[in-house]
Amino acid sequence: MENAINERYSRQVLFPGIGKEGQEKISRKHVLLIGAGALGSGNAEVLARAGVGKITIIDRDYVELSNLQRQQLYTEEDVAEKLPKAAAAKKRLLAINSDMNIEAIIGDATPEVLEERVAGVDVIIDATDNFETRMAINDISQKYNIPWIYGACVGSFGMSFSIIPEKTPCLNCLLRTIPLQGMTCDTGGIISPAVQMVIAHQTAEALKMLAEDWEALRTSFVSFDLWRNQYTSMKMSKAKFAGCLSCGENRTYPYLDQENMTKTSVLCGRDTVQIRPSSTGEISLEKLSAQLSVLGHTVKGNPYLLSVEMGKERMVIFKDGRALIHGTKDLIHAKSIYQRILG
Amino acid sequence: MNKVLFFAHIRDAVGQESLQLEAAGKTVAQLKAEIAEKYKLEKMETVMTAINEEFAMNEEIIQKDDVVAFIPPVSGG
Repeated sequence: MENAINERYSRQVLFPGIGKEGQEKISRKHVLLIGAGALGSGNAEVLARAGVGKITIIDRDYVELSNLQRQQLYTEEDVAEKLPKAAAAKKRLLAINSDMNIEAIIGDATPEVLEERVAGVDVIIDATDNFETRMAINDISQKYNIPWIYGACVGSFGMSFSIIPEKTPCLNCLLRTIPLQGMTCDTGGIISPAVQMVIAHQTAEALKMLAEDWEALRTSFVSFDLWRNQYTSMKMSKAKFAGCLSCGENRTYPYLDQENMTKTSVLCGRDTVQIRPSSTGEISLEKLSAQLSVLGHTVKGNPYLLSVEMGKERMVIFKDGRALIHGTKDLIHAKSIYQRILG
Repeated sequence: MNKVLFFAHIRDAVGQESLQLEAAGKTVAQLKAEIAEKYKLEKMETVMTAINEEFAMNEEIIQKDDVVAFIPPVSGG
C-alpha cells in the first residue's frame, strides 16, 4: 500500500517545490470547488491526480451535449443519463483516484450553502460562471480567512488571481460592484485551450497553497488571449481599497446578505420564474440579441425587451436586467439559465 | 503619447490591439468614458486598468509615456 502510494506520486515528490513533505501536506488538505463545468472539471481532475485528501464539489446543473467540447470529466453516457454534474464528476474522479474523499453537492452555491460547507476547508477554487457567486465566495474567504483562486474565461481569453485574506486585495477591491453584463461562454463562445490555461494557473497556485509553499505564490493578476497572442501580468500591490466592504476595516460582507443577491420568484399561476439581478444598470439588448442569434437561438425583440427561445424554455429579458423564464417553475434551473446568458 | 492596450471584447470593439493616444493628465475614468463613447462600449466602470503593468484605480491620473491596458473581468467558467 505504502509502496503503491510512493510510486503513484513519485514524479510529483521528485519535483523540488513539493517533495515528500509537500506531498504529505497535500494528502491531508481539503479543497472546496465551486462549480463543476469546464474550469471545475479540469481543476478537479488535476487535484484528484495530485492526491489532494478531500474535494467538496458544489454544482447545480446536469450534463448536456454542449458541455462535452471542453468539460473533460464527462461522457456521452452522462449526457444520455442527464446526470447532475457533481454526481458525474464524483464517479469519474473516484475512477481516477479511489483513495480520495469526494463530496458531491447538487445545488446552488448560495451564501448559506457556502457557510455550511466551509469548515475545515484549506483552499476554495472558483469555477463558477457568474460574479454574484464569486462575490459571495470572496466574502466567505474574508470572513473565515481561507484563500480562494479566481479563474474565468470566455472565447480565447482567460484570467486568474489568487486572493489571500490579510495579504492581497480582494475581488471587491478590484471591481467595487458586480459587473452587470460579464461575457459568458454562452454568449461569447469558448475554446478548450483557454479553459486549460486558466486551470493550469489555478491548480499551480492551489498546489503551492496545499503544499504550503507560500513564498512561491504568484501575486500578480494574470490574463491572456490565446488566439490574439496577448499575455499580461498586472502587479496588485496598489489595488487594496481601504474602504472595501469585504476586506476593509469596516467590513460588512455585503454579498452574504440576501438583500444583495439575485431575486428569483415563481410567478403565481404561471409556469414562469422571474429573476431580478442584484446589480443595477442597463444592458445592451442589441448586442445581446446579436450574440444569441449567432448561437442559433430564435430572438425577437423591441426597444424594451428581448424574447429568446432556448429549448424548452423561453426567456424574456428587459433592459434593466430583469428576466422572465417561461416554461419552468424550478428557481435554481431558471437562475442557471439566466446566469449562463448574463453572467 | 500613451500606448493604450485592449483585451477581450474591448479589443474587438476597438478593432485593434493597441492605439497611440494623448492621455497624459486625464484620469483613468475620463479615458474610459472617452473610449466607451467613441467605440460604443457600455459600462467601462468595472473594466480593470493597468498602468505600466500595475493595477490602477479609476481616480489615478495618467502620466506622459504611461502604458495603459484595459482588461475586462469575464465571468465564464
